[in-house]
Amino acid sequence: MAMRQTPLTCSGHTRPVVDLAFSGITPYGYFLISASSCKRYPCLLCCFSLDGKPMLRQGDTGDWIGTFLGHKGAVWGATLNKEATKAATAAADFTAKVWDAVTGDETLTLAHKHIVKSVHFTQDSNHLLTGGNDKVLRIFDLSKPEADPQEIAGHTSAIKKALWCNNDTQILSAAEDKTVRLWDRSSMETVKTLAFDVAVSSMEYIADGEILVITYGKTIAFYDALDQRAKFSTVDAPTSIHSASLHPEKDFFVAGGDDFKLYKYDYSTKEELESYKGHFGPVHCVRFSPDGELYASGSEDGTLRLWQTAVGKTYGLWKCVLPEELVSENSDTLYCPATEIKA
Amino acid sequence: MKTPVSVLRLPRGPDPNSRGFDPNSARFLALCPTTVSASSAADAHGVALRDEQRARSLLRERFLRSLLAMCGRPVRFSMYEKVQVEAKFGASDIDVLNFQVSDLQTPIGVQKEALLRCPDIITYNFEI
Repeated sequence: MAMRQTPLTCSGHTRPVVDLAFSGITPYGYFLISASSCKRYPCLLCCFSLDGKPMLRQGDTGDWIGTFLGHKGAVWGATLNKEATKAATAAADFTAKVWDAVTGDETLTLAHKHIVKSVHFTQDSNHLLTGGNDKVLRIFDLSKPEADPQEIAGHTSAIKKALWCNNDTQILSAAEDKTVRLWDRSSMETVKTLAFDVAVSSMEYIADGEILVITYGKTIAFYDALDQRAKFSTVDAPTSIHSASLHPEKDFFVAGGDDFKLYKYDYSTKEELESYKGHFGPVHCVRFSPDGELYASGSEDGTLRLWQTAVGKTYGLWKCVLPEELVSENSDTLYCPATEIKA
Repeated sequence: MKTPVSVLRLPRGPDPNSRGFDPNSARFLALCPTTVSASSAADAHGVALRDEQRARSLLRERFLRSLLAMCGRPVRFSMYEKVQVEAKFGASDIDVLNFQVSDLQTPIGVQKEALLRCPDIITYNFEI
């Protein structure tokens, strides 16, 4: 019997959720961090009056674990290290902060010269890559925080996203200058540049398989991460796409954007399988969990929603219920939604 | 019509009274190194641990009593950006993240009631 997807809504943010990231799978499960900005007013001053509070949640249930308090203003980027022991955030207060993700304490504040948009840890969590509106990529050695970071210049406008790739030997960056660049970490030089007609809206790097997922306009494109000239495929969605994510087993990919819906596609055939309504605003970010069982979406409506990959399967808070059980007397512990549920 | 998938409960939201990171969670207890060596020593029931815990309780109690002593008194706060203000201390919240103060004297006037963010405070002093 076909089941209808029940998204789990995680509330708590009062402002648009602009970035989210999962940790790897740890002995305590996996975790999710989300960042919220301020309302998208053109005036920069507004951002400082509204706090963006990055939150840590249990990845498979969406249960809130804690809020990282300290940034003054919108938080544009957030990430966790693999073990979920450290978190990093990028904010409009011109700083990136590193946090202890177990205690919630702030461990480092890294000053920048402008709004910071993106943060990413190396696999060993010893270095942090940052990028933002001052167009410069920075690499901080977290064991020597007082030392100056290595700086890599080259982009001609604000950097939106910067990621380590190829075993942390290279860096991928996407900027408002409509390019995606690959840099060599040791020489600090550009290895390759990909130019687009519009600025790239999101980038995801899948180490296992060396795939790069790039979204721009209504397009979701898949590139070979080692040789970006090699484009595996592209798919055009019905709406402007802000973010897309590829399933760890490369069966599916999901995307979301301006029309508030989540789209699910088959990766091999590129066929649109499903679309889900639920959010009350544009979808800004979407990511698969490390085990591929669910994906999380963050929206302008201030919520994070968790969606099942296999609808109807028992996992996390979702429970597979057979038709007979629904009418039995023992089913009162289950919450069976007839309409949209809000946390 | 398709049946919607059942859920056990909704995801738990933020606690309005604290910033979370439950110190009694399994992960916290396993991963959190203590700052004093006695607590992480193999001899968990030893004399050193007892002394450390006694010292911790004494210090904590002293700090809490200092907050009590401050109530209703004028306190001078030294904050970031070379800010020096004086106000009458009211109360602290449970995580010591905010101080409720009255008659906060600022360069642009006296604020009848205000909340000071503790991470913004460097030092504060008052007379008993």
